[in-house]
Amino acid sequence: MASLPRTHYEQADDAGRSEGSRGGIGMAPVLSMRELGKRYGAHWALRNISLDLAPGEVHVLFGENGAGKSTLISMLAGAGQPTEGVLSIGGFKGAFRSVTEARGHGVRAVFQEFSLVPNLPVADNIVLGDEATGRCGLLDKAAARREASQLIERLGFDLDARALVADLPRGKQQMVEICKAVRALPKVLILDEPTASLSTHDTQALFALLSRIKASGTAIVYITHRMEEIGVLGDVITVLRDGEMIATVPASTEESRLIELMSGRKLSDLYPQPRTELGGPRLQIEGLATEDGLVRDVSLDVREGEILGIAGLVGCGKSELGQACFGLRRRALGQIRLNGRPVSFKHPADAIAAGLWYSPPDRKRDGLALIRPALENMLVSALEFGKIKGMFLKPRAEAEASRRQSSKVEFPVSRIGESVANFSGGNQQKVMLAKSLGQDIDVYIFDEPTVGVDVGARQSIYRYLSELAASGAAIVLISSDLPELLGMSNRIAVMRSGRLAAQFQRSEFDQHKILEQFFE
Amino acid sequence: MSTTSPSVSAIVPAEGPRQSGSRRWLQHNQHRLVLPALFLFALLIFAFSAPGFFSVDNQLNVSRQSVYLMLVALAQLIVLVGGGIDLSVGTIVALSSISASLTMSGVYQNGEGSAEWAIALGTAVALLVGGLVGLLNGIGTALLRIPSFMMTLGMSSVVFGVALYLSGGVPIYGLPQEFGQVFGYGYFLGIPSPVLVVLLAIAAVYVLLEWTRYGRHLYAIGGNPRAATLSGVRTERATIMAFVLSGVLSALSGVLLTARLGTGEASIGTTFPLESIAACVIAGAALTGGVGRTLAVVAGTFLIVMVQNGMNLMQIGAYAQTMVVGALLIFAMAFSKK
Repeated sequence: MASLPRTHYEQADDAGRSEGSRGGIGMAPVLSMRELGKRYGAHWALRNISLDLAPGEVHVLFGENGAGKSTLISMLAGAGQPTEGVLSIGGFKGAFRSVTEARGHGVRAVFQEFSLVPNLPVADNIVLGDEATGRCGLLDKAAARREASQLIERLGFDLDARALVADLPRGKQQMVEICKAVRALPKVLILDEPTASLSTHDTQALFALLSRIKASGTAIVYITHRMEEIGVLGDVITVLRDGEMIATVPASTEESRLIELMSGRKLSDLYPQPRTELGGPRLQIEGLATEDGLVRDVSLDVREGEILGIAGLVGCGKSELGQACFGLRRRALGQIRLNGRPVSFKHPADAIAAGLWYSPPDRKRDGLALIRPALENMLVSALEFGKIKGMFLKPRAEAEASRRQSSKVEFPVSRIGESVANFSGGNQQKVMLAKSLGQDIDVYIFDEPTVGVDVGARQSIYRYLSELAASGAAIVLISSDLPELLGMSNRIAVMRSGRLAAQFQRSEFDQHKILEQFFE
Repeated sequence: MSTTSPSVSAIVPAEGPRQSGSRRWLQHNQHRLVLPALFLFALLIFAFSAPGFFSVDNQLNVSRQSVYLMLVALAQLIVLVGGGIDLSVGTIVALSSISASLTMSGVYQNGEGSAEWAIALGTAVALLVGGLVGLLNGIGTALLRIPSFMMTLGMSSVVFGVALYLSGGVPIYGLPQEFGQVFGYGYFLGIPSPVLVVLLAIAAVYVLLEWTRYGRHLYAIGGNPRAATLSGVRTERATIMAFVLSGVLSALSGVLLTARLGTGEASIGTTFPLESIAACVIAGAALTGGVGRTLAVVAGTFLIVMVQNGMNLMQIGAYAQTMVVGALLIFAMAFSKK
């Protein structure tokens, strides 16, 4: 692969920051990092990060999944500790040992995984850990509710302070999380993809809020994958790749340049060409609706050799569509045909036996037995449905099958006996994908197959997907990563609130037109 | 992703002291060393202070005594590997003893009936009853989604109640002499017959867990039940099966114990839940499921029985022994973390 030169502070600092930056130049940084690093044994999750956060500046961290963004912000927020280097804020120099300590120094973070108590109302969650008390040290619930309502109003969110957090959709929970973080105006505010689950209206409210917080001198660290947000919000961008700082560039930097910096290669190298001549339909979905209403009246076909990309916002029903095909969600209406035959699966075993495979998005929760070795994970389905099936185990056949499957996904065979828990995200994902190779499958549904995976592994996964398609399988690729869908798919279907919003053939691919279909 | 230990959570300066290789190895492998270390420790103590501990007679005694716990520990292991826990193993032993002896005395009629038939039927009924209790445990856990901890704890009380009700709370006599002679004290091919039964059971469980598809599925379920289901494993079926096997093995322990005692007792087996869990945990089985090896559990059981035997020889009382087994379990838990 063509690796681009890694330059720190790529363009001259002042030229870059003059535009769109409110504070920044010449002001003492709120927080500085010096040679921060984190290492697991011989593997560096993050290496040699030196950055300054200026007051009133939005610093965007940009990089692929697994580039080290999350590791970096978890150190800033005290949730993880560096093994090397120091950070300094105010008079403090060192590393935060806990989230509480980071908070004490005015650093607050909103992670993608929420820290909310589901069974408490919004107000109680917002004041959690710093509750107002009245007489006799009892909780002053009215004061909490009052404070929360005022805060919500000031922020311009559409949120009810009395609602139970468990009852709120993810987007609203995100707002509660943001309220918590900005309640005591922090010196540094860290936001990890805050808009991933927000509606357009709430996204705008968030942006307005952020510009106000910024004006008061708070430094904001912002992680996003959305290019359009960088232009609107960002002042400077630091690009991370494979745990290292690649460059710090102004927010006005061109999109294509950013992607090159991020991936370390020209865009065209990453994705193999999809197969052009397609066979007959393998999977036909006709008027499908689920009982829970998350999928409504969807009709789609996937043909032999085709990769069908499914795009849409979080919660648009794209994952649920895949699950419904696999029998994980009850079907209310419609029909599913596999190789022309109508099917209805009650258990994943039925679906796999019929030749349909589903790969879940959350590999740790749904995909892998982390404490078991890679070999056992890879072959668990093959024992039931593959060539090596039978009552008793056949060690030699297993070794052979696992070697074959490993090499197809480019998993290092020498590590086949290790617990999956020891592996990086990329290798874990490869084990997951290798599971699908142990038996005959005609239609594969992959839900977010490259989340949390580094560039190298990503490329192996793309090669593997296109080989599957080339060998005649039909592939449904569900992804929140639009560039990935644009690179891999023959066709992209966009879903919006449970329905099919639009379909685009490869010749019609246009990022902006497709993105427009995400929103009403 | 692994979490760093507290010692490196502060910043380690680049030139700072590094842990030596051997210390790191110890830290990473301490869970594997628990069992050998405990064995060594116990052997050392008994070598000096338990007279006659190493005699052939006494070692034969230990293996004979370990039979009953061994079967229950194997039962526990099967359930633990599948991600559950079985707290009803003790009262299954009791109910098995009662149902076996009631059937036997009923068929035998103090010598009027056939002893062979009595023994065969009594054993069959006991195993069936054990399997049935396991089936209920499995259905509650796998289908009704009751946590196995609660399901088997509740079932343990139910089963104990049934055992007391059937027996009226008194020992049941009238078992054929041959039952005790063959299955309690008998020898076959020079090996005590209960030991022979347990050797067969060990072999069967070993093959089941490590060499069959079912065993592999059980490890997969214990490792991650959702992943197993999505991979096409019929997790409910496998879990129910695990509890049934546990019930049958526990019942077998009850039958052999009854043969040894010569009477049916509802009060036996009360220490088995704790001791069987201890045997598994000392041997490295994880309470969270998916980890545990048959032969290690055999060694773990042997250790517990050996400690009890050694303490008997040292004339340490039953109360103190109870304390030691509990302490062993806690100690093993503290050091078995990875």
